Amino acid sequence: MLQQILESLKLFQPEIVLTVVLCASILLDLIFRNKPNFIGGFVIAGLLLAGYFVIEQANGVTQSIFSDMYAVDPFSVFFKALIILSALFVVVFSLQSKELNNGKRKLGEFYSLLIALSLGMLLMTGASNLLMMYLALELTSLTSYILAGYKKEVPDSSEASLKYVIYGSLSSGMMLYGISIIYGLTGSLSIYGINEALSMGGVNLLAPKSSGLALIAANVLMIVGFGYKISAVPFHFWTPDVYEGAPITITAFLSVASKAAGFAMMMRYFFVTYFDAVARSMEGHFTALPGFDWTYIIAIISVLTMTLGNLIAIWQNNLKRLLAYSSIAHAGYMLMGVVVLNNEGISAILIYFVVYLFMNLGAFYTVMLIANKIGSEDIDAYKGLGYRAPFIAVSLSIFLIALTGLPPTAGFIGKLYLFAALINAKWIGLAIIGVLNIVVSLYYYARVFRNMFLRDPEKDSSPIIFQPIHILVTLALVIPTILLGLYFSPLVDIAQASVKMMGLM
Amino acid sequence: MSIDTIVFFTLAISSIISAILVITRRSPIMSVVYLVLNFLILAVIYLTLQAQFIAVIQVIVYAGAIMVLFLFVVMLLNLGKEEALTEKITYKKRVAVGLVVVMLVQIIVGIMMSDSKFTRHIAPNAEQIGTVEGIGKMLFTQYLFPFEVTSVLLLAAIIGAVVLAKKRIDG
Repeated sequence: MLQQILESLKLFQPEIVLTVVLCASILLDLIFRNKPNFIGGFVIAGLLLAGYFVIEQANGVTQSIFSDMYAVDPFSVFFKALIILSALFVVVFSLQSKELNNGKRKLGEFYSLLIALSLGMLLMTGASNLLMMYLALELTSLTSYILAGYKKEVPDSSEASLKYVIYGSLSSGMMLYGISIIYGLTGSLSIYGINEALSMGGVNLLAPKSSGLALIAANVLMIVGFGYKISAVPFHFWTPDVYEGAPITITAFLSVASKAAGFAMMMRYFFVTYFDAVARSMEGHFTALPGFDWTYIIAIISVLTMTLGNLIAIWQNNLKRLLAYSSIAHAGYMLMGVVVLNNEGISAILIYFVVYLFMNLGAFYTVMLIANKIGSEDIDAYKGLGYRAPFIAVSLSIFLIALTGLPPTAGFIGKLYLFAALINAKWIGLAIIGVLNIVVSLYYYARVFRNMFLRDPEKDSSPIIFQPIHILVTLALVIPTILLGLYFSPLVDIAQASVKMMGLM
Repeated sequence: MSIDTIVFFTLAISSIISAILVITRRSPIMSVVYLVLNFLILAVIYLTLQAQFIAVIQVIVYAGAIMVLFLFVVMLLNLGKEEALTEKITYKKRVAVGLVVVMLVQIIVGIMMSDSKFTRHIAPNAEQIGTVEGIGKMLFTQYLFPFEVTSVLLLAAIIGAVVLAKKRIDG
């Protein structure tokens, strides 16, 4: 046992680094009391070190560690790299955010909690036991509640935090109920064990009368937990309020990394637990267990999520709320990749997430920079911004064009691979609904750049000056957004090499 | 019907009744007292399942420590305002109750109908598993990883509680 734990620790370095950084940053914060930027720098160093260890794992290692509690495989390594990259960006954003650095609060703990949040997300990507999944989800949720309410002198922020707590605890409670039913049915908490019990006929899905109804009920409850994390309709109600009230850097982090972790956990759960190990299908394809067709549940949620997200986004006047609904819609697009049940679908989701990271973080960053200067996130306040701050306005437009999915930006590549996977798997109807949704989304994104470029500034028309560091960070996000749209074969290669999940053939 | 079944159903029904009493009492103090009762009944259910350690922990931690704190808070906050806790029954609540019943029926029917070989399965060494020794062994071998993750979770929760509850904003 001891030998096995020591062996496991070798594959657990990124998480160990983050745990040490978490504890050290709390202690350093006591020593360097009035230097929050120092803690920020320390946290960046820690994230870089963790990122180094993650990249070191990217050599195709596929192993189950800690008595099947945690899986290290290319799939989880890909998501870990994604989460650490976005955490790095978010720490950099936070160091520049005016709403956070207004001298009214201590920021040391803010960075410590960001590390705890990243650690929770890392654990979500690899959790291969329902108990671990629940714990990782709770660690992520708990720290998100606190960070969403970090501007506690602002009522909106406290409201966001409270709403998040209520929705979060309700959905994690339902998920626990689902877990308990699944445990009762199969006698196992490990996703490999559940798959084995189901395949061996422990729960007879095909027998007349039984039809796996209990399993479906339990999985509906599980989807409540996952759906809340990726903000899928109808579990999305917290999203707009939390995204609007939380500090904008946290909003950006939740919309990218939290969603990525939720997707990673959900995909691992559904694919590994409910694939049919007996039915030998083509290389790179797998089939769902007979008698339990969960793909249709996901397909319905996907349609609801993208349609509702896009339709409600049209009426939004606050850019943060608009981006919140757009992120709901994007969760819907990515769910389409889950239903196709093959490696092509998984790699399409991975590609989409990389692209989504750059364009969504970029959109939130530029919105934050503009809010730092003009103090508003209303779309009406953006009138004439194209003349006052041409560089930032053009960058924001590029991010929004990428979010719509138009060429030559990376957003187009993300959607292209997603729709190609859908059409190859004969989900034509779903693909058509997806395309229609993109048309709808063009309308509300276009409203933002119409205000920026085609309207005259109202009162104040003086040019807005940004510091070189702001320009530099914006460029770090704009360049990949465009470059990945033109030269995307390395990204596609990496994504296709990262589809291997522990336990899935 | 064996004695086990009779004991189980007596306990299960009384725990459901006490749970319903928790949410229907007007006085918050009475609610809390029924909640304590509910926890105690659950502890007995754990005992019948040969989970002695869990049963003891349930009594000490929940019925003991946590509920005493609850009672203190309720008594400190709600002095003489017990009548304020009346509620109206709106159509939303009726729909909610309906949905809950549908979900409950679905789960019960599903479990009744599913032909699982595990549902009637009793672990042969159930008596050893429930002891402090058994739990300790599992906790530090097979479940070591979740156990350690829980400590990180609690650390984050403590930091968060301090951050949110701190009065002086500048620290």
